[in-house]
Amino acid sequence: MIIDVHAHWGPWFFSMEVGALATNLAVMDRYGIDLAITSATEAVVYDVTAGNRAMARTLEHSDRLLGYLTVNPRRLDDAERDLRELLPTGRFVGVKIHTDYTDSPVRSPQTRAALELVAAHDLPALVHTWDATPLELAQACVDIPGLRAVAGHMGANGWRHAVEAANAVDRLWLEPCFSHTEAGRFAAVAAAVDPGRLLFGTDATLIDPAAAYGAVLAADLPPALAERVAWRNAAELFRLDVTG
Amino acid sequence: MTSPFTAGDLPAVTLDVDVLVGRYADRPGPTGDPRRVAEVLAANGIGRAAVANLRAALFDVPTGNDETAALAGPRVLPVGGVDLRDPLGAEREVDRLAERGFRAVRLFPDEQRVEADFPSVRHVARRAAAAGLVVLTGGDVRRFWRPLRGTTVVFLDTHFYHLGDFVVAARDEPGFHTSTRLLNSPDALETVAEHLGVDRLLYGSRTPWYEAVVPRLRLARGNLTPTDVAAVAGGNARRLLEPIA
Repeated sequence: MIIDVHAHWGPWFFSMEVGALATNLAVMDRYGIDLAITSATEAVVYDVTAGNRAMARTLEHSDRLLGYLTVNPRRLDDAERDLRELLPTGRFVGVKIHTDYTDSPVRSPQTRAALELVAAHDLPALVHTWDATPLELAQACVDIPGLRAVAGHMGANGWRHAVEAANAVDRLWLEPCFSHTEAGRFAAVAAAVDPGRLLFGTDATLIDPAAAYGAVLAADLPPALAERVAWRNAAELFRLDVTG
Repeated sequence: MTSPFTAGDLPAVTLDVDVLVGRYADRPGPTGDPRRVAEVLAANGIGRAAVANLRAALFDVPTGNDETAALAGPRVLPVGGVDLRDPLGAEREVDRLAERGFRAVRLFPDEQRVEADFPSVRHVARRAAAAGLVVLTGGDVRRFWRPLRGTTVVFLDTHFYHLGDFVVAARDEPGFHTSTRLLNSPDALETVAEHLGVDRLLYGSRTPWYEAVVPRLRLARGNLTPTDVAAVAGGNARRLLEPIA
């Protein structure tokens, strides 16, 4: 069993043809990924309302995808309405916040307000992090009671900050996807943080899962820890009724 | 209990175009000891590698290249380095490399903080081409395509974000090739194969700085045929860098 906690559905603006649901499923099959928690690219990069509804419709067509309801911190009225209208479908298990596309850094007032909203709904939040911003997300976890956050990309080049962040608070998880696969990055993180905080995320279908899968493979984790990374930690965090 | 992460299907790599020995002063990471690099390559199923030396790129060109030449053997194809900050020294070194039998020269514009429109880049590329050397280059392909027109070159840093720019530039440049290292979107390799032909793709790992298994996995799990995978994993590089006389 492998659960991908950082996936997307929909087209990207680069020279790539990856927008179809069939592509998601085919890419998952390449790597034995059973379940992917997925946000709509439209919601992430453009129109959050239309994108979330497109995601909801797509989720009706595959039981191998679960949804992130995307929140644009600049449009919290939309977020409240989307949470109210779409959570009852039962297919959305978390919230996605992309800080760059919305120009809303983790420390910004609007993203803090968005995270408070997410915590009030008791949903995990996958937040885009880069460089030192996992530390800002850790501080948000300290400041906002009950917030459970995943540092997307575990800071990318800033993974050393992600280690510090994960060790500073007990409600921050890390996932490794990043197109630049620095040698030893995931192994170093896995050796330095609570094994319960490690998740598997790919950024597919923007990035092929080879990047994250290879990073985890290269870390040569003991099987029990590899299983926690692959799915057990995700199942616990997202409260999924799955078995290996 | 077995790990959910397995990869028994990785292709053997017969020639990797992007391997470094030596160290960076400005970052943590491996020291690039040649013996340790050789161990990493062997552990990753890489039988032979085009190896350049950071000593040549960052400190002293002649002694760095002499060190690299001494590594030549069944598992190492030496690649020369030049310093683009010193175009006069670079032209001398290109000629020296050709005389010593090097087949390729590697450019390090990012490490040397040299931009694509500096005269040095165009000059050294032309000098390398005239000497019969293949150019391996770092740098943003959207900018470095221009001074490298007319050469046989492997762009080592082509990111899939910039793949469309590489493809449209390479349509007019039969000597343009790309490493697969950062072509890790779900359809990047297949896009190059469709638009340019699989012969433009060369496996590059940047051992010991990047995870060599990632581009191998991408080859193993993609939609290229086994014949095409073998070409990318070394056949194309041998054709460029070790042509049969």
